[in-house]
Amino acid sequence: MSGAGYKTAPVEDSISKVNDELAVGADLKFQRRWWFFERCVWVLFLLIVIADLLGCFGRGYFSHAAQKGPAGVMDIQYERIERFSTPSILTVHFGPNAVRDGQIKLWASGSLVKPLGNQRVIPAPSSSVLENGGVLYTFPASPHPSSVEFALEPATFGAFPLTLQVPGTDAVNLKIYVMP
Amino acid sequence: MYTIIHAILGYLFLLLTIRVLSRRPGGQLTPFEFVIVFLVGGVIILSTTGNDRSETNTVCAVLTIGLMHRSVSGLKQRFPKLGAWIDGTPLVLLKDGEWQEEVMKQMRIQDTDVMAAGRLKSAKSLSEIKYAVLERNGGISIIKAKK
Repeated sequence: MSGAGYKTAPVEDSISKVNDELAVGADLKFQRRWWFFERCVWVLFLLIVIADLLGCFGRGYFSHAAQKGPAGVMDIQYERIERFSTPSILTVHFGPNAVRDGQIKLWASGSLVKPLGNQRVIPAPSSSVLENGGVLYTFPASPHPSSVEFALEPATFGAFPLTLQVPGTDAVNLKIYVMP
Repeated sequence: MYTIIHAILGYLFLLLTIRVLSRRPGGQLTPFEFVIVFLVGGVIILSTTGNDRSETNTVCAVLTIGLMHRSVSGLKQRFPKLGAWIDGTPLVLLKDGEWQEEVMKQMRIQDTDVMAAGRLKSAKSLSEIKYAVLERNGGISIIKAKK
């Protein structure tokens, strides 16, 4: 017994030898498997980088999307693939048919605020009211309105549906994927 | 919670990335040890520039990485095969005056790398070297031929 309470053990020649004289512990069979695995990993890494360059993980060509709403009411430009805690802009372009009594009303489902993390609306609405599990925004508008921007910053990741609707017209349903 | 998950995933991802980078001759650290150097630095940057810049966030991240490192270290000791996957195994580059070409090519090592290691052992030419072994930390060990 040693002082620390552990037994001592005789040294065994457990390391494999080269030419029966040099203990190296080489394992070429394992190494060949590793080299194959290494090549597979690098191919995977390359594919991930290419996918990212194309915007498959957000902030690129394939992540930009546009959705047409009812004719003359609204069109939407957004990022179909967002990133967790990363700012982006969702733009709603209104047409003349969206204006009623000098104002535009836009209902957004609750997912706009949480989990998509709407930080602010530009321009600021004259009112925003909680309604039907979402928010009803009211904007003063001229007969030829332009657009409203929502600054998003997702607070969690996953796939989230988002519905936008000018009351009295068809709703526009979007699906937004938020990458971790 | 996100910080801890990010730290664990970051540790595992960096461990894999550094491991597949291959060993370079002259390296002093094993890929396993490189993980700590890179990831702690990376986490500090993340916590500095990210949304949560609190001390709590930074401390939790560093503690998570420390625990991961200790756990993997323990697993390596318990399962030697896992150690081979994480740190690799030594490889013979030169044996009895013959290059092991498959290993040299796959590990991207040149004869000049071996000779550089040989000079540190007072070898004047490659013919004086009997064995050259690429160690797990990227260093090259030289066993000279007996005269």
